[in-house]
Amino acid sequence: MTAALAATALMALLAGVGPALSPWPGVSALGLIAFLVGGAGTLARIVPLATAGGALALIGYALALGAEQPASHPLAGVAIGAGLVLLLVLTHLAARTGGAAFEPAAARLLLWSWAPVLAVGVLAASALVIAGALVAAALRGASLPAVVAIATLGAVVAAAGVTALVTAAGRPAP
Amino acid sequence: MTWRPTTLNLSLATLLGWALLLGVLGGRAELIVAAVPLVVALAAGRRPRPAAADWQVARHVSRDRLVEGERVTVTVTLRASGRREVVELYQPLPPHVRLAEGRHHAFVVAGEHREVRWSFELSCAGRQRLRLGDLHLRRWEPLGLAAAESVDHAISDVSVYPHVTPLRRPPSPARTQTYVGHHVSPAQGEGIEPGDIRPFVPGDQVRHVNWRATLRLGALHVTQHHRERNADVVLLLDTLADVGPPGDSAVDRAVRGAASLAAAYLARKDRVGLIEYGGILRQVRPAAGRAHWERLLDTLARASVVFTYVARDLERIPPRVLPPQALVIALSPLLDGRFLGAATDLAARGFDLLLVAVSPIAAARALAGGGAVTDLAARLWALERRAELDQLRARGLTIIDWDGVEPLEAALAVWQRPRQRRVRA
Repeated sequence: MTAALAATALMALLAGVGPALSPWPGVSALGLIAFLVGGAGTLARIVPLATAGGALALIGYALALGAEQPASHPLAGVAIGAGLVLLLVLTHLAARTGGAAFEPAAARLLLWSWAPVLAVGVLAASALVIAGALVAAALRGASLPAVVAIATLGAVVAAAGVTALVTAAGRPAP
Repeated sequence: MTWRPTTLNLSLATLLGWALLLGVLGGRAELIVAAVPLVVALAAGRRPRPAAADWQVARHVSRDRLVEGERVTVTVTLRASGRREVVELYQPLPPHVRLAEGRHHAFVVAGEHREVRWSFELSCAGRQRLRLGDLHLRRWEPLGLAAAESVDHAISDVSVYPHVTPLRRPPSPARTQTYVGHHVSPAQGEGIEPGDIRPFVPGDQVRHVNWRATLRLGALHVTQHHRERNADVVLLLDTLADVGPPGDSAVDRAVRGAASLAAAYLARKDRVGLIEYGGILRQVRPAAGRAHWERLLDTLARASVVFTYVARDLERIPPRVLPPQALVIALSPLLDGRFLGAATDLAARGFDLLLVAVSPIAAARALAGGGAVTDLAARLWALERRAELDQLRARGLTIIDWDGVEPLEAALAVWQRPRQRRVRA
């Protein structure tokens, strides 16, 4: 139950990021829907619902960024990415441990196991930000189509890598 | 153990795709950066995992025999040699068994030769042959992105016996056997139950002289005694049809009555046999002793309704299972006419038959719940049943009506066989 409540709180934070950036009613409505859908998923321990809530929160955040066009804050992106990972992992944990006896030692061990993954994620994102800044400096004189092409290539490579990772093994466990 | 990715990978990939798509479409670096922790998490789920450690799983059940309503403690001991990790243990529960204490699903930390003990208590609502089957063990990747499952196929059997109520005075048989027992035989001989008085004849023992009669009649008279002998009792259990909630159905109540009767007769040194008259005709030939009591309980624990269209013929049961001199006590909810036909046939063949009619009405009401319609139906059913029992009594059957709730002894107390005394010269 603790994991489900923590995931719900995290869902509320993620859903609130977009409305906090932009006062546009559409973003607020999307944030509310994201919280309702994702909160239902975290409380009912249904991972696909929590995923939908996270995706809606991400869309709301993107809309807010598009509407307000604030200065770039890569750290906010890192926090949102880590928050999304934690949201899904906590909801999945709550779903598989529902009704089971859970040793406190197991909870401690899990937290200790998650910490390095999150740390690596934050470091990788920071490295990407630095690399991006370097690439931006290198492409300062380049034309717009070249920048878009390089960005698309990067996205396609990332998507292909993830697809390869996910589909490499057999069918998912129940 | 084979590691398999879980559906959490798809969820992470979905969010990753959204982050990248929105980042590219919106041209915002934050969204691209937000995708990085998702990529790292997915990559962490794909990293090589340690090979299967040396797992030792043992399951111990505190008792292999218990009476319905009692609890049994199941303890699972797990020891692994690998690094410490979170392990999920799951023991599926058989039907009609509920968890009394603890959980049958647990997450524990195993590894580094640490012995983990996990226990829970089960309560069995009704008699049954309880079989604890496969124990599932699942190792999880820390984020939950992959899992490896194995199954321990050990089987633990627990016999849940019916509850036995002590009976002080079970129905006495009309005929006795040759071995010493607790029933007063009509035949004369050595015993403590006084019979008739007759004149003294050479060979009579002096301790049998009835001095009061001798003084009154002016000649030596002796008191004769009845022998105390054992009897053969055969319990005929009707399992053709049943009604009521699991663990407290009409057949369950009949089984409790049969177990109580068997215990009472075995305590009196009688030989007790059992015939389960249903879809499967199970038989236990009459015998006595502790081992036989266990055999009867095992058979009663397994007694169940197996649907059949076939009417079993009791004539095919060999005399060693159904001795001609035996007292046959039939326990039936009288829901199926075939059993009534078999019981009537036994009585017509000269068997000493006593029919304990276990009322199914209370069991059916427990299943149907309350309500005015249910009450009305139950009252009508009770009237019909009473009329049916009266008809059977008019046909010469000896019937004891038992509602299955009150003590069987109270129901048996209303019927006492007239004492038979016969002294042969």
